[in-house]
Amino acid sequence: MTNINKYTYMKKSILFLLLIFVSVLSYGQAKKPTIMIVPSDNFCISQGYFTTININGADQKIPDYKKAFQENSQIRMVITKMGSIMSDRGFPLKDLEQTLKSIETEGAELSMLSSKSSGAAVKETPIDVLKRTAKADIIMDLDYTIKRQGPNQIITFNLRGLDAYTNKQVAAAAGVGSPSSFATADLLLEEAVLSYMDGFNGQLQKHFDDMFKNGREVMVVVRVWGNSDVDLETEYTVDGEKESLSTHIENWMSKNTVSGRFSTVDATENVLKMDQVRIPMMYTNSSGREIAMDTRRFVTNLNKYLSSAPFNIETKIYQRGLGEAWLIIGEK
Amino acid sequence: MKNKFFIVALSLVTLITVNAQKRRDLKAMYHSQYSYEVSCLGVGQDGTKAIKVWGYGKNAEVAAFNAKKDAVAAVIFRGVPGGNGAAPTPAIVGMDGYEMNPDFFDEFFKAGGMYLSFINLTNDGVPSGEDRIKMEKGYKVAICASVNYDALRKYLEEKGIAKRLDAGF
Repeated sequence: MTNINKYTYMKKSILFLLLIFVSVLSYGQAKKPTIMIVPSDNFCISQGYFTTININGADQKIPDYKKAFQENSQIRMVITKMGSIMSDRGFPLKDLEQTLKSIETEGAELSMLSSKSSGAAVKETPIDVLKRTAKADIIMDLDYTIKRQGPNQIITFNLRGLDAYTNKQVAAAAGVGSPSSFATADLLLEEAVLSYMDGFNGQLQKHFDDMFKNGREVMVVVRVWGNSDVDLETEYTVDGEKESLSTHIENWMSKNTVSGRFSTVDATENVLKMDQVRIPMMYTNSSGREIAMDTRRFVTNLNKYLSSAPFNIETKIYQRGLGEAWLIIGEK
Repeated sequence: MKNKFFIVALSLVTLITVNAQKRRDLKAMYHSQYSYEVSCLGVGQDGTKAIKVWGYGKNAEVAAFNAKKDAVAAVIFRGVPGGNGAAPTPAIVGMDGYEMNPDFFDEFFKAGGMYLSFINLTNDGVPSGEDRIKMEKGYKVAICASVNYDALRKYLEEKGIAKRLDAGF
């Protein structure tokens, strides 16, 4: 073997080993939830960061986050401090201010973008436009007030970690700080963040531990298209059992969820709503690879089941983030 | 006569056994790895916990030395209760942490061990006044310490003793 051949062979071997190493690293990693700090509605409205819109004749106050970030330096300081703590714990936060800017730019760019050859615009349905909002899997709902009592200032701090799909409070930190006559509002806020974040993260850790032990808690909704020939009360025979489609779906769910855990919230001929659905964090695909499971993948498996005999039903999967998916039966 | 002697002997044996049991219980309490007397002094500087810890020892110096060790152990195994405007801090590994990794912690807490590097500051010197209590056998003293909580957590995470928040993701 010449020196050049040897070098090429070595280079190929190193690349091959590197590829294997990267593949091994990518195995066994569950989907990481995104976390975003959002000022609470109460905070925004009480501080005057809102817009009023008229919905069906009634005025409603909607938080104006952009205004809050532009006019309140304290909220930016709190988010920066909390972000640095979360980043240190391996969870860099999704920044709401930056996400809002990015959404604005994306909208403008999409409206201007056209293909070079035909001048066609990028396809976007109304639902795609609607889905262009700031989203996260866990929302850290933040609220604080600084009150004055004589010469002293007192901070009331309230931080809630909300699962965006189950709407459950998965972690919380709330309390009143010590009265202080010399500390500035910024110092009181920093003290509150330092004081509460370890406890908050401790609760978040418990939530993740529960997730790995009992599966990720998600929501699955089965709906029916208006022009569908079948609905959820249509009967099918599977293994000699003649049952409604919704019962067959529930049977599939109990077989495929962790310890058969899920709750049916609503069941009509048109809607089957299931919450507290515990899906496994990982699953092994047909080629033996362990892959992270999310609601979309889980519902895709249900879609495969319904598209096979005796059902032979065509379905559309509509994803609402990491933790909620709809399966609409009748057509794509 | 025989009966009387038997009753007295039995009473003496019972008394000695009960006393010995009481001493053993007290000794076990003083030497228990779960007995930490900790209170929070307030919100510490970024990444630190300001706490007051009590330690036991034959003399005040040994008690202060034990208190320093207990400060780190309490943060690792039991967490810090809230107080003086600070919220409670959860334990880094929990109560069964020692049983899960006895070799690691024996090495970590040995005399002059690694645990000392996570104590930023103590009111060194033998405490006096209400922080120094003379007991029947030895002393109970309190020290104020600043424990580098974030660095300690990171160190235990790197060693695989504590779980990272993003573990598994």
